[in-house]
Amino acid sequence: MTDQELDVRSPRGTVPSAVPPFPAPVSRVITFLTERAMSLHAAAVLRIGYGMLYLAFLLREFPHRDEIWGPGSPWTPDLARELFGSTGWFSILTLSDRPAYFEACYALALVTSALFMLGWRTRAVSVLFALVVTSFHGRDIFMTDGGDNLIVLMAEYLMFTACGRRWSLDARRDSRRAVGSPNRRVPPSAGQQAVLVRQRLSALVHNCGMFVIAAEVCFLYGSAGLYKVQGYLWRNGTALHYVLGLDLFRPWPELSHLADQHPILVAIVGYMTVLVQVAFPFVLFSRLKYVVLGLLIGMHLGIAVFLGLPVFSGAMIIADAVFLPDRVLLSLERGGWKFGGRILRGIMPTREEPSRSTSIPRPGLPEEMTHRSPM
Amino acid sequence: MSQPSEVKEAADGEDTGSPPPLSRPARLVVALAVAACVTTAIVHVCLVFLYVAPSNTVSQRYAQQINAWIYPYFEQNWQLFAPDPQYAQPQISARVATTSPNGARKVGDWVDLTAVDVAEVRDNPFPSHTAQNMLRRAWAAYADAHGTGGSSDSERARMLQAYLLNIATERVADQSNRAFDAVQLRVVVNPIAPEARAAGGAPPVAASNIRYLPWWQVTSLDD
Repeated sequence: MTDQELDVRSPRGTVPSAVPPFPAPVSRVITFLTERAMSLHAAAVLRIGYGMLYLAFLLREFPHRDEIWGPGSPWTPDLARELFGSTGWFSILTLSDRPAYFEACYALALVTSALFMLGWRTRAVSVLFALVVTSFHGRDIFMTDGGDNLIVLMAEYLMFTACGRRWSLDARRDSRRAVGSPNRRVPPSAGQQAVLVRQRLSALVHNCGMFVIAAEVCFLYGSAGLYKVQGYLWRNGTALHYVLGLDLFRPWPELSHLADQHPILVAIVGYMTVLVQVAFPFVLFSRLKYVVLGLLIGMHLGIAVFLGLPVFSGAMIIADAVFLPDRVLLSLERGGWKFGGRILRGIMPTREEPSRSTSIPRPGLPEEMTHRSPM
Repeated sequence: MSQPSEVKEAADGEDTGSPPPLSRPARLVVALAVAACVTTAIVHVCLVFLYVAPSNTVSQRYAQQINAWIYPYFEQNWQLFAPDPQYAQPQISARVATTSPNGARKVGDWVDLTAVDVAEVRDNPFPSHTAQNMLRRAWAAYADAHGTGGSSDSERARMLQAYLLNIATERVADQSNRAFDAVQLRVVVNPIAPEARAAGGAPPVAASNIRYLPWWQVTSLDD
């Protein structure tokens, strides 16, 4: 055992402990999980993405809102309640059958999605967002598809993450406060311990949440791929021919017909789909992941246009962002600033001093230093 | 779990000087929380894996535990177009019957409900769930719950029949102003023409098959 490890076990200033200290590997695991919330920018992308997507979905269905979620739906409130009775689901929408109550819930869903996207009081709003998304999903359960399913899971998991720590109104408020009073809180000893524990628990729960999200996305692609491998039509390369022939997933029949004219291309794209999906969990720890993520995003953009499934595709593309490291997201952000001009600068909290970002080689660090952690 | 204070400062974004290390009870709390969170996350991930993976000996053996954990809030299904995409699509039509006071029964023409959905989707970059999913999934769920026989013993089957009837009733009512007291559905399953040069030939769907559902009485037209 080295001196350094000993130092880790009995740090300066700690009252000598009567309980045996944790073995070094355990200490290291605890430190790794609690010292720092990882991938905060990726979490922010998930928050912004799913908030925006759900808002777009709700607004798109505005003319059909009563038919889908309201008291006038063919899946009547009584049927929904009966089903909830057997499945154990909860929805705020079936608490009352009055149209005014439904309109209030719909308005609440719009506001919640927008606030979640913006990252205002994110921890509380994320709980509300999960409540709204599960409530609306359970109410129209027989009208949902894989995209809705993924949004529900992500809303549930994002409650546990510190997804409001970056690129949010919360972050902006905290950075302003930090500038105004740099030493705003020096709590007394007991309170300080509580703050420290809370920070560590927040980081811990966040890290576990991000791990679960990443695993979930791997399983999603892995199982989609494994089931396709079992399919006869995927094996003989004609699966996409049948997909392109589905009337309800063919907003542009001419386009689908045009693609269908090239059986070789259809077979290649079909094989690539299966290969990339099955390979996905295995490439994540190499640079190849950027190639695979690019192919998957291309595939989902294709699904969005050819099959008329923008919410489904959007949900999948946003989920892929969990695998982008913060330094990649930050350089994407810098690229975005260069091209996007100054319009957004007032809205977003970061990069208030552009000269700084160019002078510091590690873009993750200044961010870490300038923002207080609210949780 | 205690680290050099510079690291801590950078990590937590605190600029209040070097925060002292955690006290013993605090360290215990954090350690217990780590154990609880890591266990929960790993158990969750394992159960989700077993749930979404193709059925295997492990998932069969622990089916009860897996389902107890997954349902209802972590239910998921990633089998879009898998194992095979649909190679036939149902075309659902409805017709209505009116019984006049003197007992004469008048049956209307078939109205193609699926065609309405297809027309809605056409040229629409962002089709509504009401067009893409409502009737399609209602029929799929109904067919699934009723099997091929058409009996509706289970609660789920009865609920889905009510749902399908409500959809049909609303859509037919949208198209005609006539009052009616019964609805019948007809489902024509049209195979998608196979790729001409496909190796191994077409999937085993030969011709369209037609299924007539029984006449369903409409109790109320208000909904």
